[in-house]
Amino acid sequence: MVDFNRRQFGGLLASGAALASYPAFAQSANPSFMSFTFAEDPNRPLVQKVIDDFKAQSGISMEAVGSAWGDVQKNLLLRQRSKTLPTTAQLSERWLPAVATIPEIVDLDQALGRAKLEASIDPAVLAMGQVGGKTFAIPLITGSIGMIANKEVLEKVGVGVPKTLAEFRSALLVIRDKVPNSVPFAAVTKNPSAIPLDFMIMVWLHGGRIIDESGKVLIGSDAGRAAMAFMAGLMKDRLIAPELDRPDSRRLFAQGASGFFIDAPQARSFVRSFSGKGEAADAFVLPIPTPVLKAGDTPRSIQWGHLVCAFKGAGMEDANAPGVKWLNYLLSDAVQGSLAPALSALPVTKTGQKLPIVQNDPFFKNWAQATGVPLTNEIGIWSNGPELSTILSEEFQAAILGQKSSDAAIASMQSRMEASMLKRG
Amino acid sequence: MTTRVDAGLSPQLSPQPSPLARKGGLKAHERRIGRLFLLPALAAFTLVILYPFLRAIGYAFTRSNLQTPEPVYIGIANFVSILGSPEILGAFVTTAIYVVFATSGTVILGLGWALILNQPFAGRSALRALTLIPWVLPSTVTAFIWGWIFNSRFGVLNAVLVSAGIIPFPTAWLSTTSGAMAAIVMTKIWFSIPLFMSFFLAGLQSLDKEQIDAARVDGANNFALLRDHILPHLRPVLLVVVVLGVIGNLQQFDTIFALTGGGPVSATSVLSIQVYRLAFDQWDIGMASALGLLWVATILPAAYFYLRHLLKGA
Repeated sequence: MVDFNRRQFGGLLASGAALASYPAFAQSANPSFMSFTFAEDPNRPLVQKVIDDFKAQSGISMEAVGSAWGDVQKNLLLRQRSKTLPTTAQLSERWLPAVATIPEIVDLDQALGRAKLEASIDPAVLAMGQVGGKTFAIPLITGSIGMIANKEVLEKVGVGVPKTLAEFRSALLVIRDKVPNSVPFAAVTKNPSAIPLDFMIMVWLHGGRIIDESGKVLIGSDAGRAAMAFMAGLMKDRLIAPELDRPDSRRLFAQGASGFFIDAPQARSFVRSFSGKGEAADAFVLPIPTPVLKAGDTPRSIQWGHLVCAFKGAGMEDANAPGVKWLNYLLSDAVQGSLAPALSALPVTKTGQKLPIVQNDPFFKNWAQATGVPLTNEIGIWSNGPELSTILSEEFQAAILGQKSSDAAIASMQSRMEASMLKRG
Repeated sequence: MTTRVDAGLSPQLSPQPSPLARKGGLKAHERRIGRLFLLPALAAFTLVILYPFLRAIGYAFTRSNLQTPEPVYIGIANFVSILGSPEILGAFVTTAIYVVFATSGTVILGLGWALILNQPFAGRSALRALTLIPWVLPSTVTAFIWGWIFNSRFGVLNAVLVSAGIIPFPTAWLSTTSGAMAAIVMTKIWFSIPLFMSFFLAGLQSLDKEQIDAARVDGANNFALLRDHILPHLRPVLLVVVVLGVIGNLQQFDTIFALTGGGPVSATSVLSIQVYRLAFDQWDIGMASALGLLWVATILPAAYFYLRHLLKGA
């Protein structure tokens, strides 16, 4: 039997601890790209192709790290605490104010050059990647969140595109009665990250606001109560359904079990995949102006986009670092002209938006005409956006599931949001 | 002779001490080896449990959220906030409801099933083996099975009830407060029964059959047998099972998260889910740690009782 003295015990313990901890803290030598698009089965090959093309052009291997859309913020927080942040990460535009609080985030005005960014990207699009006047992320793809109608379902039940919310409700009733087991309006009712988008549009359509630019909470208004009552009424009449997340909405829509839903233009790509019809499905994906409260009102949509941010560390040391080259490559016409259209989204660069593949696609033209000028997400712009989203979602669910009256839910939403904004300081 | 023997043994009995003797003898050597064997587990415990737990205690007294990436000491403010938050206090009530129903349901059904499987009948061994299936299934698989049963659009339950004409159209069971709670309790009971049943069955194996036969001769019916003979005999097992059940249900997270995510709203948001929501939905690590400490405090009495029972037995 081997005998150990105290020093040997210590050495053994240290070696064991080092061995045990190595896999958890080891980082790949390659720069990395955390991506939720890479985690989506239909879209994984698109991201892989960009990575492969980048390697062929630069000789740099970019390691893709898939993360489900709903887990990206959580994964970044955990990786920040364990010092294993990826070199670059894909974000939804509404996460940036929260992610920008991570101390390791890179100021891309410095890394890529503000003048260069402004020269290649329209200021309104570039603004999605900015917090407090600094650019913390480059836009990757852009568009807006608006309403989409299933042309096939509407024709099948014999209703036209609704112009007002009253017509919209009538159309939903027809779909409910004529399409068995359908969810006429596949609004999101489950995911706290997605519920605010659908409800925000409804609040705007009723003439209200959730939070203004100064941070004042305004949801406790007649318009807010009317929007909530409208959605609760849809649930009561089985025109929307509980337990629906955005992926469920896309599937229902793609399979002809829904007449309307709210999504970004990339919905077309999901519908192509989920319907099993490929590009033939484009025929029934109809972007429409959101129905308005009364004729003459403005349809509403939300500014939307995917961003890519970077974190300090290996791969982002200087202007020639692999991470910087990767970010520049993502803004090239090669990527913007392939990835964005394939995701049914608009390129973010000025030259990308003029490419024939974008200009000749009628879907983009129809989308732009239908959604008009998108407004800024009123919740996502705040660093306490995750808490605000949770509050909104809980009160929204309480109202549509009958646990609270619409008025009580809105009153509670107002007070809880005010407390959250106060705590935020 | 003595002299010869002494002379012959003298090299082995020389005063030069053995290597073991130098370090305190065989007992001390065994203790050192024992410590060596303990080291991997101790290192793992320190790294995976003790260190994070101590960090969590520290975070519980700080403001650590998105606005303060570097934790700021705020004393007991997080605990005061918890006491003032109806949403978080509601999690304690929800946890109590879940633990009471899940534990009592599992104990009753597990005992009943053990009594059945303790009877002699053809295929008993096969049935005992099949009974273990829910227990060996991964918990998320279990959650998805029950999620499918309760699904509002494609669920088995709705299909049966609608086709039988009991309900006019599919119901969203997981979207009602009571339905969601019933679903998570039933799921937990379903996959916990095999374990509890095994405990009870082992206890029943040692029950004196002659005692039962004598009671039967004396005219005892089944209920009297259960009340006067079986339950008193199973009392030590029952105590352990209940305590283990309470501890396990206080810790339960995965099936609830996979089945309802704590919803609708916060109807099934037990303490484990609430801690997760605070930490990873709202990124409020300080509050999550404070609630986590209170959560541990709820588990400690049961854990103490269980450990004391174990040590007494030892």
